[in-house]
Amino acid sequence: MESRLDRFTYDDAIVRKFVTATIVWGVVAMLAGLLLATQLAVPQMNLGLPFTSFGRLRPLHTNAAIFAFAGNAIFSAVYYSSQRLLKARMFSDRLSAFHFWGWQAIIVAAAVTLPLGFTQAKEYAELEWPIDIAIAVVWIAFAVNFFGTIAKRRERHLYVALWFYIASIVTVAVLHVFNSMALPAGWLKSYSVYAGVQDAFMQWWYGHNAVAFFLTTPFLGLMYYFLPKAAERPVYSYKLSILHFWSLVFIYIWAGPHHLHYTALPEWASTLGMIFSVMLWMPSWGGMINGLLTLRGAWGKVATDPVLKFFVVGITFYGMSTFEGPLLSIKSVNALAHYTDWIIAHVHSGALGWNGFMTFGMLYWLTPRLFQTSKLWSQRLAAAHFWVGTVGMLLYIVAMYTSGVTQGLMWLAFDKTGRLSYPDFVETVVRIIPMYWVRAVGGALYLTGVLMGSFNIFMTWRSRPKTYEEIIVEAAPLGPDNLPKRAEPTALEKAGVHVFGRKIDYFTEANWHRLWERKPFKFTVWVTIAVLVASGFEVLPTFLIRSNVPSIASVKPYTPLELMGRDIYIAEGCYNCHSQMVRPLRAETERYGEYSKAGEFVYDHPFQWGSRRIGPDLARLGGKYPHLWHVRHMENPRDINPQSIMPTYAWLLSDDIDFSVVQQRVDAMAMLGVPYGDAVLTAEKTAREQASLIAREIEEQRGPAGLGGKQIVALIAYMQRLGVDIRTPVAEPSSPTANANKQGASK
Amino acid sequence: MKLSDVVSHAGLAFYAEVALVIFAAVFLSVVAYLFIRGSDLQTLAALPLADDVAAKVEVKQS
Repeated sequence: MESRLDRFTYDDAIVRKFVTATIVWGVVAMLAGLLLATQLAVPQMNLGLPFTSFGRLRPLHTNAAIFAFAGNAIFSAVYYSSQRLLKARMFSDRLSAFHFWGWQAIIVAAAVTLPLGFTQAKEYAELEWPIDIAIAVVWIAFAVNFFGTIAKRRERHLYVALWFYIASIVTVAVLHVFNSMALPAGWLKSYSVYAGVQDAFMQWWYGHNAVAFFLTTPFLGLMYYFLPKAAERPVYSYKLSILHFWSLVFIYIWAGPHHLHYTALPEWASTLGMIFSVMLWMPSWGGMINGLLTLRGAWGKVATDPVLKFFVVGITFYGMSTFEGPLLSIKSVNALAHYTDWIIAHVHSGALGWNGFMTFGMLYWLTPRLFQTSKLWSQRLAAAHFWVGTVGMLLYIVAMYTSGVTQGLMWLAFDKTGRLSYPDFVETVVRIIPMYWVRAVGGALYLTGVLMGSFNIFMTWRSRPKTYEEIIVEAAPLGPDNLPKRAEPTALEKAGVHVFGRKIDYFTEANWHRLWERKPFKFTVWVTIAVLVASGFEVLPTFLIRSNVPSIASVKPYTPLELMGRDIYIAEGCYNCHSQMVRPLRAETERYGEYSKAGEFVYDHPFQWGSRRIGPDLARLGGKYPHLWHVRHMENPRDINPQSIMPTYAWLLSDDIDFSVVQQRVDAMAMLGVPYGDAVLTAEKTAREQASLIAREIEEQRGPAGLGGKQIVALIAYMQRLGVDIRTPVAEPSSPTANANKQGASK
Repeated sequence: MKLSDVVSHAGLAFYAEVALVIFAAVFLSVVAYLFIRGSDLQTLAALPLADDVAAKVEVKQS
């Protein structure tokens, strides 16, 4: 009996939309990046405005690059390749449209709220809670659409690219939900439900796996589909691709703690993260080699085809980044590199080289097909984009390596008398300013390449036909009629091998894996279980085993005014340039003071440890300078230190504290378990009293009058509290509990 | 009594190391299966190339 054939079309209109969004947001993200790069070389480029200051714009740049540029590129790849690999139109055109417009609305919401200072202050997860909910809703729509398409597929086997998409969709959902848990304290204000060490652990479990499952696995899916298409030959080794996939699922999920080496994170978690990170190196290189060897016999084409040029360099950068990542995860290397521009070089070799070049390779391959033109408008312009982009990227990365290693060594250096060689932090900043200029030039070149590519694609679009042709495809549906038939006994059955022996053979021949690949539901469930189990094993002990976060009796909650000041610190994005984490290294304790303990952060919702020291660490700032010093410093940092590259924050001296929300915020913190006691009933009054006191002290120090209701006073209250508690003597223990706390403090 | 009281006294601090061994073992098993006795998967590798030659039966203006 002959099988019935289905007739259907692919939805390429949605892919065209995502491609357009990729290009538009790519330009926006890189323009923001270029402005930020020049701000570090010339602080006046902050323009003296709140909305354009480095601390507020940097999250906009990272969010735009990751979720707008790379995100739309991923969706372009998923929507184009999945339909063809599954031989099915997307499950629902309406869900596709909802996904597209919903995602763009989220990006616009981010572009508005982040410069206005609405942020949760967790890197790459800054967006406030209503936007977080919108992200979850749109992601679920995407997942339903994707898995619905799998359900109605006409190709039984799921190609490896689809596994990568499955892992990405499932894991990103898990990461987003758990890391974004926050208690609202207003329409655009919330506090993370986790505090201190636990919040840091959750954040970098998320942060690292966002790199893994948003910037790596979907792009590997892209590679495994579009590279064979462009090279016109199958992937070099399908076995290697299976290994590549499972290595990422089983190993990558553990690597997050390497972002927190030498911090107050428990030692065992840090070591675990390092070991898994080092284990990742070989399978990642297996993937890179698999990609490059796919071009065996086609290297001649690389010289002439810009698509393959972009892919080859993109995959090479994948290899470089996945070698460098494990290297940086080794604690002794990390001691030098952490908080420096070396990390900036590392992430940009991944973002510009791997994500950027893979995206443009895909776009140059896709656009003539999507816009139904016979070819790209200009192959020469595409080749020029490749070279300008490559040179720009190399300038950027080499400059940041040089800057990072230079500054890292200067921070650690001692002279022969045993004192810090560069005790003044700004000395280490001035030394790397030339590298900031080189980085800005490199970034400008990369952006120039992107603009060339955008123009090329625009011109290709202009030569499209008046109406697009719709290609009707035929394929047999999946059903009982089309199941593979077992016509004859297998060789083992003929040879009379016992059923147990045949089962062992079935297992060792990896046929079980082929069967799995035909059962997407089982496949997805097992991937989810692997991700959840690994995450649980690693993250939960820090939440549930108390010895991981020893308490310190002298650490008390922030006063209401200090809490308001902390919220200003968060809104201005101070954590983008300043850490609050003194590592237990002699160079750090000499420079900043006593190293940080886990128990110091138990009321920090969210944690503010930071990940880069463009300016010095602030963990021990409290009491170091008088209030007036802070007023002058925030008004214009160059009045205090002519070489400072910090933006001015003059508006903090004129903008009022919103005392009407103090009670609401203290209530929210109390709901999270912060022991405010009776103070929770008089939060606004207490805040006003402390503000008046600080304003009076500023006047006594011959500072400006009338600052009592201004934001600067709240910020000063917070900054003067930093690191103070651990120096406060603890009252004599009066109960066994207090005694236990005191013992904890000495750990 | 809180969950953290129970877990803190259950002596489970070693279980992250156990998990490391389990995950590494599962991963190494995949490696072993694939490279010692892997089956021929090249037809599957060609799937992306097959969609170009899928039966395109008609073209219409949209």
